[in-house]
Amino acid sequence: MPSVNGTFCVTVMKDRCINARMPGKCATCVEVCPYDVYALDDDGSVYVQNYNACVGCRICAEFCPEDAIRINPAESEFLVRSPWTFPQVEEIHHKAQTGQYQLRGFGTMGYAPSFDNITVVPSQIASAAPRDKYREECDMEVVIGEDTCEHPIRMQYPFLFPAMSFGALSREARMALAIGAAQTGIISNTGEGGLLQDESWLIKGYENEARTLKQWEPGGHLVVQWSTGRWGVSADYVRAGDGVEVKIGQGAKPGMGGHLLGAKVTEEIAAIRGIPIGSDALSPCRYYDVQDPEDMKRMVAFLRDVTDYQVPIFFKLGPSRPYADVKACVEAGADAISIDGLVGGTGASPTIVTQGVGIPTVALIPPAVQALKDLGVHRKVKLFVLGGIRHGLDAYKALAMGADGVGFGAAAEIAMGCRACMACATGRCPYGITSQDPELRARLDPVEAGQRLANFIKATAEELKILTMLSGHDNIRDLGEEDLRATELNTAAITGLKLIGYEKRLPWWDNGRGS
Amino acid sequence: MSLVVDASKRDLRSISTELKEAVAQGPVTVKETAHLHGLVAGFKSGEVTIEGDGGDYLGALNAGATIRVKGNAGRYLADNMTQGTVIVEGSTDYGAGPYCYGGTVIVNGDAGDFTAVMNKGATIIIGGDVGDEVATYMLAGDLVILGNAGKNLGNYLIRGNIYVGGGWESLGHNTLLEEMTQADTTKLRGYFEQYGIEADPTTFKKIVRLSEKPFYKTKKAA
Repeated sequence: MPSVNGTFCVTVMKDRCINARMPGKCATCVEVCPYDVYALDDDGSVYVQNYNACVGCRICAEFCPEDAIRINPAESEFLVRSPWTFPQVEEIHHKAQTGQYQLRGFGTMGYAPSFDNITVVPSQIASAAPRDKYREECDMEVVIGEDTCEHPIRMQYPFLFPAMSFGALSREARMALAIGAAQTGIISNTGEGGLLQDESWLIKGYENEARTLKQWEPGGHLVVQWSTGRWGVSADYVRAGDGVEVKIGQGAKPGMGGHLLGAKVTEEIAAIRGIPIGSDALSPCRYYDVQDPEDMKRMVAFLRDVTDYQVPIFFKLGPSRPYADVKACVEAGADAISIDGLVGGTGASPTIVTQGVGIPTVALIPPAVQALKDLGVHRKVKLFVLGGIRHGLDAYKALAMGADGVGFGAAAEIAMGCRACMACATGRCPYGITSQDPELRARLDPVEAGQRLANFIKATAEELKILTMLSGHDNIRDLGEEDLRATELNTAAITGLKLIGYEKRLPWWDNGRGS
Repeated sequence: MSLVVDASKRDLRSISTELKEAVAQGPVTVKETAHLHGLVAGFKSGEVTIEGDGGDYLGALNAGATIRVKGNAGRYLADNMTQGTVIVEGSTDYGAGPYCYGGTVIVNGDAGDFTAVMNKGATIIIGGDVGDEVATYMLAGDLVILGNAGKNLGNYLIRGNIYVGGGWESLGHNTLLEEMTQADTTKLRGYFEQYGIEADPTTFKKIVRLSEKPFYKTKKAA
């Protein structure tokens, strides 16, 4: 059964519904719903057979030819019954009935400290004059590994598609990410599920395997992930990337390994990962071939050697102890570090972990940046912030706090068509993004979804450009904390940003805090 | 005649660069390598002999080379190998043959804890004893132990076979002691003949998985 993410009211308006007027003539909702919310009775009439199975994806409403369906969350539950809301009651029933805890994807829901309580400070007379977004240029390039590699990565925008494996995502979704990255000159990361051969040429902008037809400019950058499960990893795999990412953790389940549930392990995925069809692929929570930081340095050293010192080494961190963890990554030899916040988490995870383990994204940045500064490598070793990044405004704030770029995981899935129903782990994604079911996958056109991703990245880059230039800069590397203010005390305390009205940092930030 | 390279006081990059060029010409012998970790990583072909002891991560990501160590090897021998052969005349330490997809690892002496962890298809033969947690989460391939094993042997075994000539302190979760078949005996005899190992395959015990899905119980393939 899919996780019960909320109570949804399913309403079919009989005066509009074709089937209500002419039983047997239309059953689109029955066909498109992967959760069997709707059914047909013996005379061909549609009826709602299971309200509780609705995950709120709204694909039925989207496809209904007469706009006859409304899906609304029963939000009042949270006001009148909290903490014993319907989802909470159902979760307890589920454990009582099955003896199993619940799993879901899509990160932390509900309130967590975020970028929303930070505001951008525009330029006026007392600061550098604003730049003209419409008539002047803004440099948004990010270069990774410039001083350490023969072939550094040059990203057109400070954005990347973070690790989401083939297995967690469908083949079509992985292809779409490659096409989106190819059109925008950014990074797409394989995740730990091995490499689809299609990705390696699509991401360079080629329409065909022979690389004779270049369809998308300027071409993107493929980062291959090296992780604790080592699925589909070989010397050729490592060499196929423009960079190699050493995964330490992820926002969805920091301290745990990747989970790919058996429901999504098809014949093709089983072949790439070297596991039985339908088997749960549970990556170990730690490296079996690393016992201490010195081992990690040695691992990075041989990965550089296998790749002939050509490409940068990334590290991916979950949200734990950002100062110490970032420092350890730099000491191990990282050229770039992605740090994933509590809110992040496209992957399947025990619900209690995705909901309640880790540091919120916004609170990771100050200590991570401080670690880079203390080691003298801020802006040299690049810092990417992941976890709940939605738009150019979030990206601007992360960059002004000291990051070099941001990643879009959930936002990328949404750009492809996802409606955030959080049922990714079931393998029944209505939009074919996180499903391996051929029928559901057929709903996702990789070229169309790739175009949507490119549109999203370009529009988001324009948002970042607007904010950068209205605050008096023509280069994203010039953004700084002075470009931001916290709008309430808690955020000022967490981030060290100046508090609106007070116009100063809270006192303890100037008394040695930061490590 | 084998080219001889002295690695003393040299770093990984310098010795590896020389080795990559040299193996294309013929067999290479390297001396004084114990301070180098990750040597002969990712080679697709060639023959390399290590005189004396090797460091950690020797032959990592091996993709077709034949590597022979005259002495002992360090930790994580042949890490994530996909093809080729790695032979150690002495013993190895922790985590020999981890994450391997294919190829063959032969250790004439003993091996440490977590040997053959997450083996996904390699043949790993240990002439002596092994430590604890050996073949944890093994997904395919053969592990042959001529001596004794420690605690939790084959913990969460998913697929593949563990053959043991001696005994063990304890078996891990999801393991099943199964009768040796004629095919098993023939296979082991083939390994022993190929690598000059003196052992009687009919005396070995075989351990396989209990269930293919020991974690989450109710899922089926989409």
